[in-house]
This record gives sequence, structure tokens and C-alpha cells, in this order.
Amino acid sequence: MPENPPQAGPQSLDPKSQLQRTANSTRRSFLEKLGLSSTLLALAGQAYAFIRSLFPNVLYEDPRRFKVGLPAQFGEGAKFLEHKRVFVFRERNTFYAISAVCTHLGCTVKMQRLNQPKKVKVGGREFEEQAEFHCPCHGSKYYGDGTNYSGPAPRPLAYFKLEMAPDDGQLIVDMTSSVGQDFRLTV
Amino acid sequence: MPTKQTTWEKIKWTWLPASDREAGDSIVRNFLLHWFPAKITKQSLSWSYSFWLGTLSAVLFLILTLTGVVLMFLYVPSVERAYQSIKDLEFVVSFGWFLRGLHRVSAHLMVAVVFLHMLRVFLTGAYKNGTAANQNRPLNWIVGVVLLLLTLLLSFTGYLLPWDQLAYWAITVGTNIASAAPVVGDWARFVLLGGTSIEQNALLRFYVLHCFFLPLFVLLLFSYHMWRVRKDGGLACVDQLAQTQKKEKATPIKSKTYSLLGITSGSTVHVETSLIDEDQHTVHSSPNLTRRLAVVILGTFVLASVLTVLFHAPLEEPANASVTPNPAKAPWYFLWLQELVTDTTFRIGGFTVNGALVGGILIPGLLMGWLVLWPYFDRSSVQSVGVWWGAERKRQNLVFLIVILGVVILTIIGTFMRGPYWGFYWPWQSWPEIPRKF
Repeated sequence: MPENPPQAGPQSLDPKSQLQRTANSTRRSFLEKLGLSSTLLALAGQAYAFIRSLFPNVLYEDPRRFKVGLPAQFGEGAKFLEHKRVFVFRERNTFYAISAVCTHLGCTVKMQRLNQPKKVKVGGREFEEQAEFHCPCHGSKYYGDGTNYSGPAPRPLAYFKLEMAPDDGQLIVDMTSSVGQDFRLTV
Repeated sequence: MPTKQTTWEKIKWTWLPASDREAGDSIVRNFLLHWFPAKITKQSLSWSYSFWLGTLSAVLFLILTLTGVVLMFLYVPSVERAYQSIKDLEFVVSFGWFLRGLHRVSAHLMVAVVFLHMLRVFLTGAYKNGTAANQNRPLNWIVGVVLLLLTLLLSFTGYLLPWDQLAYWAITVGTNIASAAPVVGDWARFVLLGGTSIEQNALLRFYVLHCFFLPLFVLLLFSYHMWRVRKDGGLACVDQLAQTQKKEKATPIKSKTYSLLGITSGSTVHVETSLIDEDQHTVHSSPNLTRRLAVVILGTFVLASVLTVLFHAPLEEPANASVTPNPAKAPWYFLWLQELVTDTTFRIGGFTVNGALVGGILIPGLLMGWLVLWPYFDRSSVQSVGVWWGAERKRQNLVFLIVILGVVILTIIGTFMRGPYWGFYWPWQSWPEIPRKF
């Protein structure tokens, strides 16, 4: 804010009152600034409180680490856990879990059983697959091991860590920790 | 004015003025008419210049507000009851199906009409300033672009509310597009959903956005949009008239009504307007403008109502996180985006860029920026203001139409040529049978 120019008048001739006036206007403008900035600060504080309240501190959501049953309850091959959107696979005594959430935009992929096994090659590794994952939203396609090969998906389906519960021996899927495609839980 | 008036006459005379004097007075005396100019050029009233598309979208917004407020009494924004309350609207509430249908039809119409309105304004060069001072039509064009965006957001938040499969997967895809944004993406998704998964918080947030914030923004911007139209001297076609008139008649005449309605600061706009030979080119707004307005309002209500009766509002199965419908399609006005996010994932060496970022954020963002900035790069002369297919703007119009055509083609592909797993099928090809469960 620009300083008020000293006004011409009889008092302005007196250097002391001139000083007085400058001191006064400085005090006034200081108080103006103080008042204005404290008002703005108070408003910002209110706004922060309003907006901060919209970021939840506690989420009442399904746990991302959960028990899915005893290993014996899983047959050979894939089992789709609908409500968790995860496939749990059993190959004899090893287990692994693949996410059913498409890495493109999050739709649930569907498992397509192939009429005859298909030989595929992923990064120099060759294997035979019985089924593939296809996404209904934008047409992404993944091999049986979750590697994307067609459509807009940018990366393979996530693998989740599997554990054995120490108390009752159930399988635990831990969706909070992603693991490599070679992860296997041997029971 | 007669000295003794019945109440009915008091109400009626402003709408059906008996003399020129009454016609001028009515604009000042009637609250509902005061925002119109006293006199209006015949060109501005023309059906074939503007197609009244802006008015049409305002009327649709009115219908949406009226039906929307009633629907708020009948709908419960909770994940347990939302779907059931829509079912009740369809089968239990008297005329509930009609309310919901009218709301839905008007929403679809509004998206189409606002879009066509933008097309009209572009092709007529109506975002350009004429010769009058204090015009800022480019700014009003930007307001219009934001209103188009708000219309789309209103539609998006609206079709989420039934909490059916369409709703659930639209939120899934929509918020995942948001999270593909660099840096703020995950943060944006978290605050939109009120958590990390799509549950009660998400529904409530989209409900409040849909019923309060977005309509409020539309209302504020719409008001400013209309105010700017007046301040910019009316529809752009009037500027053409002003140009031809100036040669004949150079001295501005201030009429009483114009100065009474001197909303603008200074005298610029009404000096320009007053250059127009009033007797030859203008008519009284009351009842000439109001009559056409009534026809448009009634016509829109009738059209929307008839469409509501003819086309029943669909409702998909209840939201189910484990089964994505196959194919899962957005409403028609978002299918070009769905097509874009499908086709724009690309790989450079070992590096993959998600189509969600390219087709969902970058391309739409660039399109918006391009729309916003376009008026400032338009170097055509004032001869092209408010003229359909202006000769100087041929190339501009062509480029614009090609982009629009691109959007339309993607929309058509998405609507008619995408089948299960978003595979490509010609419209005459039948889709393969797919078992419903995985």
C-alpha cells in the first residue's frame, strides 16, 4: 500500500509533528496489514479445516489381507474369489494368487478357458497355458501367467503374497504386498 | 395504460403490450423481463441463425432442476438403498418412471444441445469481437467451454447414482483415469472416492457434487454467460448489421429505453446498437422475443416428455464388483473417450505409457486447451463475426470440423462396432456367445 503523501498545512512545517504523522500513518498501515493478513489467515484456517475433513482418517473398507480357507479346500487349477477380485491357483502343493483387476483402468478381467492348450513365450520363458485373462472394458489380454500381450494394459496383472496362518493353517492373501511372477507358496 | 386495471390485466399487459410505449415499459416493469433489451434485432430472433440452441440448453437445465429436486425427495444416496429407490421410482412411486425418464432424457439432450451450441458458435465465428468497445466474446466462449465440461461432469455424476453395473464400472474407470494423472493422481482418486475402494463414501460424494456443487457452478456461470451476451452487444450477428448500418447513419441516437436500461458502463454498446436503424431492423422484445421464448420452452418440454414416453430409461443389474459387464460401455457421449483410452497405450522400448494417461487425460486436456485458446489465434476480420461459414474462416472451420468428425467417428465405433471384450465387430456381424460368469 502506498504511503500517504505528507499533506501541506501549518503543522507540516513543524518537523516534530511531521515525524509524529509519519509514525501514525506507519502504525495505521501496519495495523491494516495486520488485520487483513490475520483475516486471510483465519479464512485459510477455516478452509483447511473444511477440506481436511474430507480426507478420511479411518477407512471402513474390507481388509486387504484376509484368510481364504484351508489349502485342502482348493482344487487343482484356479479359483476365483469373487468379492476379493483375486484368482488363487493351485499346482499340486504350490499356491499363488493373481489379481483380477486389469492394470489399465481397473475392470475385473475374466478367465477365458482355451479349447486347447496354447504354447506361449514370455521373455524367453516358454510354457503351456490352459486359460487366459481378457478384460471386458477396453479389450486388454493377458496370458495365463498374467503377462499382458494385447490391448491397452500397460503391465502384467499383479501377483499377491500368500501366507499360511500360524493359528489355523488357512491361506492368507496379502493384497498389500505385490510379489514377482515366480512367487510360489509351497504347502 | 388504462387507468383502472384488474389484477389479471396488471399481470397480462407486460406480456401482451398494446402499444410501443407499453412494450418499452414492460421490460422495465416486469421483473422476469428486465434482463432482456427493450428492442431486439430481427436477426437475433432468427431460427436459422442460432437455432436457439443456447436457450434450448437453458430450458433443459430448468427441466433438470425441476425434476432433479423432486427426485431428491425420492432417492436415497446409500449403497444399500440407492438401487432399490430407483426400482421404487420405476415400479412403485406414482409417475416416478416419468420423473426419472424426463430427467434422464433431458440430461442426454442437454449434452447434445450444449455440444451443438458450441459447434454453432464456432462455425458462425460468434466468439469473435466486433467493432464495439468493451466486448469480450473470447471470454464468454471460454465460459461456454467450461459449461460444456460441467454438463459432462453432471451427466457423469448423475448416471452413477442408480448404483447399478453402469454406475459402478463408470466410477471404477473414471476414478482410475483420475489416478493416472501425474503426481496428484492417487491423491485425486482418494479424495473423490473418500477412500481406496468404491463404497458408501464415493456414492455420497458424487451425490453431493451432482445435486449441489456442479449445478451451483452451472448456475453461476450461466448467469455470467447471459450477462456477457448483453454486455457484448447481443448475438454476434448484430455486429454484422452494425457494420452495414454505420456507413449510412453515423450519428448515434440515444433512445429513452436504452438509457433506462443502461446496464453497461459508458455508452459504447448502446451507441453501437443505436446506430442500427431501429424501425427497419428491430422489434420490441415484448412480445416478439417472449413469444418465441415461450414456443422454445414449451417445445422443449413437449419434446423431452414425448421422448420420455417413447424411450424407457434402462437400469442395469445392481452394482457388482466381481463381474464387469461384457462389453462394459459408457453412455454414448463418453464412448469416444473409452475408444481413446483403449487405443492410446504405447510402448517406447521397455517403457509403457498407459492409455489412461494419454487418452483419458492428455488428449482431452489438450482438446480443452485448444478450444480455450482458439479465439486468440483467430486472425480473421470483423467481416467474419456472426456469419455462417465465413469466407475468411474456411480453413478454421474445416480443421474444427475434422476434429469434431474424429470424435463422432470414435463415438460411432464405440457405439456400434464394439462387442464382447471390446472386440471389433461390424454392425451386421453377430457377437459370439459368451458365458455370463467367468
